[in-house]
Amino acid sequence: MFQVIGGRSVQAARLLAPRSAVLVEAVRGRKSRTDPVAKSKEGRIKVPSPVDPVEMVVLKERYSEYELIMRALRMEFREGVLRKKYEEEMGSQAEQRARQEEEEHRALMDWNNQENLRILKARVLRIQQEEEEAERKKMEAAIRREQEQQEFIRQKEEEILKLQDEAKNFVTLENLDQRIEEALDNPKNYNFAIDKEGKVVKRTAMQ
Amino acid sequence: MPMKGRYPIRRTLEYLQKGDIIFKTRVKIMTVNYNTHGELSEGARKFVFFNIPQIQYKNPWVQIMMFKNMTPSPFLKFYLDDGEQVLVDVEGKDYKLISQHVKKILGKSDEVLHAEAQAKMQASHPANFGPKKYCLRECICEVEGQVPCPSTTPLPKEMTGKYRAKMAETQD
Repeated sequence: MFQVIGGRSVQAARLLAPRSAVLVEAVRGRKSRTDPVAKSKEGRIKVPSPVDPVEMVVLKERYSEYELIMRALRMEFREGVLRKKYEEEMGSQAEQRARQEEEEHRALMDWNNQENLRILKARVLRIQQEEEEAERKKMEAAIRREQEQQEFIRQKEEEILKLQDEAKNFVTLENLDQRIEEALDNPKNYNFAIDKEGKVVKRTAMQ
Repeated sequence: MPMKGRYPIRRTLEYLQKGDIIFKTRVKIMTVNYNTHGELSEGARKFVFFNIPQIQYKNPWVQIMMFKNMTPSPFLKFYLDDGEQVLVDVEGKDYKLISQHVKKILGKSDEVLHAEAQAKMQASHPANFGPKKYCLRECICEVEGQVPCPSTTPLPKEMTGKYRAKMAETQD
């Protein structure tokens, strides 16, 4: 306690040195440097309030002690908070918790990988099936195309045969005269009527 | 008009606050790759449509990106802060199932959430008065049923300090 007073009294002694009554230039505060001084304050000399030296010494000592104690308390509390934070982040509990979380995380990741594998298998199966489907469809299309081609060729051959048959009855330059003679010899009568059943009913006489 | 979009309920606060996926602190980025057409991406599409707003609301510091029609099959990818990447295949899954799956592997569990809520409650004492940032109320005049703030309505004469001082002076 006495050492504290010894320290404080040095500062208190500095206070008792003489001070000038007049202060330095006024701080303008609200007004700018070009504004004139207010009319009511023209001759004013600001004098600091009187200080009782004895009281001042006592007050200074008391204040310094008080501030010391407050500062110490604040530092204590701050240290406590920091220690708690340190414990929280790096203490033994924290390591354990971190390890546990790590294990849980790994277990969850494994489970996730299992799920992924399962879906992968299902997907591979599905793709295989789709490929087979596509193959089958392609084969079927090829077969159908072959068949259609065959059909086409057959039809064309039939037509050719029919044409060949008909070619036997064509009129050429050689048998032109013969055919003319035949036609003139056998006149054909195209004037006939048919009833509703399609049977020939009446024939007009040849002119 | 207040109703915008196909399912405007997705924009309501109530819907967003109902979201139950809160990621662990180490999840930083979430990426969703999905296709706009196709039966297999249906679950992923619904997940993006319904659940992503809830997730982003509850995890404002997680970056969420959507990629469309880049890969044949849909998947989710999470990037953790230690560089680990977590792949989640969602082909053919239902959107509710996807959401449960994600919550299971990377969401904070219910106990953790409870513990955090408790810690937060303990840190803030409701009976303290102080700045709005730290306490519920600043002055007793804010409480219903108490004397209103003299800045809004002047106090009755008998309650003011100067009247009381005057009375005390005249009496003694």
